[in-house]
Amino acid sequence: MTPLRFEQLYGQEWGELETLLDNLHGRPGRPFSSREPVSGARVAELYRRACEHLALARARAYPTYMLDRLERITADAHQVIYQDRELGLARIRTLIARGFPGAVRSHARYVAVSALTFVVPTIVIAALVYGQPDLILSVVDSDTASSFDQMYSPGTQAIGRLRDASTDWIMFGYYIRNNIGIAFQCFAGGLFAGIGTLFFLAYNGAFSGAIAGYLIARGLSHTFFPFIATHSAFELTAIVLAGAAGLRIGHALLAPGRLTRSQSLIVASRDAVTLLYGVTAMLCVAAVIEAFWSSAGWLPPAAKYVTAAVCWTAVLGYLTIQGRRAG
Amino acid sequence: MIRLVALYAMAITTRVLGGIGLGFLLILWFALEWLYPIAFELTRWGATPGKRAFGLKVVMDNGLPVTPAASVIRNLLRVADFLPLLYGFAIFSMLVRRDCKRLGDIAASTLVVYQPRATHRPALVEVQAIAPVRRLAPEDQAALAALAVRAPRLTGERLDELAALAAVVSGDAGCSGPEVTRRVLGVAQWVLGRRT
Repeated sequence: MTPLRFEQLYGQEWGELETLLDNLHGRPGRPFSSREPVSGARVAELYRRACEHLALARARAYPTYMLDRLERITADAHQVIYQDRELGLARIRTLIARGFPGAVRSHARYVAVSALTFVVPTIVIAALVYGQPDLILSVVDSDTASSFDQMYSPGTQAIGRLRDASTDWIMFGYYIRNNIGIAFQCFAGGLFAGIGTLFFLAYNGAFSGAIAGYLIARGLSHTFFPFIATHSAFELTAIVLAGAAGLRIGHALLAPGRLTRSQSLIVASRDAVTLLYGVTAMLCVAAVIEAFWSSAGWLPPAAKYVTAAVCWTAVLGYLTIQGRRAG
Repeated sequence: MIRLVALYAMAITTRVLGGIGLGFLLILWFALEWLYPIAFELTRWGATPGKRAFGLKVVMDNGLPVTPAASVIRNLLRVADFLPLLYGFAIFSMLVRRDCKRLGDIAASTLVVYQPRATHRPALVEVQAIAPVRRLAPEDQAALAALAVRAPRLTGERLDELAALAAVVSGDAGCSGPEVTRRVLGVAQWVLGRRT
């Protein structure tokens, strides 16, 4: 059979498949509602035929333009037929109800290591700086240190920032960008055999420890603790969990078991991404609280401590108990 | 690049809005840094506007559309690819691997593929079809068909040169010139399936 004859015989089917695929995608410039319903059976049938034609055309070395067309329509149809729809409300609901807390529990060892890597430097550095407040200068320069002083000094209307630094919205944007960025870095660092993750965790732990120790030493703990108590339930937990996700992929690279290293990395990433969905959500919550609740200077510290206790209990309870029965 | 431009444009407009604008700018900065590629890769094009402009798209290893999980993985691991500076690890990984993937693509099991734009059926040169003077092997037929398809896009001189190489099919071995070219293209028409 000659190429032209081949095209003459089957070109109509290819055209039909192209039209059906266009209809499924919704052609640009056409309103969504005007799509005609498409018969799945017909698409599948035409797809199989087009695959046969592609194999024949290749074997018979037909001209490239014909191969190009067949390759494009078979690839498009393949995508339409075999795609799995992961996203959707039902999927998000199972993620919240079972997926995320379940993933945290099944990564308990990584969470523990991550938490220790974060908390130990925090406490050690906080103690060091508390004992010797000058040490803060080896972490930040003197201007930054004095701006911390000013931020948490009792006369401030809104604690946690400079009086002239403007509104809650700026800080909300800043927290979103900064904190979620830190969490994502903790995760990505796992790609370097987990060392990057450990570094980012310890570094951020040490940094917050230094500031905490300094402020306590300066006698500002009565403004500092009410400020951080509530949002830290979400923020610190989320950073620890992002670290756990990083450690998971780092460990998968170091000790792939019976898989190849790249296979092991793929499996680990697929596991870890569930943690990251939760981490992102938690950090958004943390940013809202940090910008609009924690900084509200007119609230009595007692109210903040109560909310903080509720939040910590809720977060830890959610992560340890939620979805256990169904799992 | 597109992201930088968008950020700069937003920076100018938000300057006018003052404090609340700065807040939005920071959120937007975050969104452009982390969410922009994910959001665009999950559309039906499977590519950011920049990739689309160059005919690239992201697919899973098995050719399916990229899944949300895979898109999140490959875009968050971009940070690791960027290190130690200017995508150093990504470039290294792409140079040493046969499948030319960066680290994020390895972990997410995704591929960035080139998807050529739809090509239209080329118009063939109108010449009289001529039967070949000898039997043609399949690869010779393929070469002739390819020549016929390319003919409208070649300069006359180049076409003559190429046709001279294939002149044996029309019994003009060793000759060249527009007449030989016409006859070779005639054989090509025959191979493609025309008989008149």
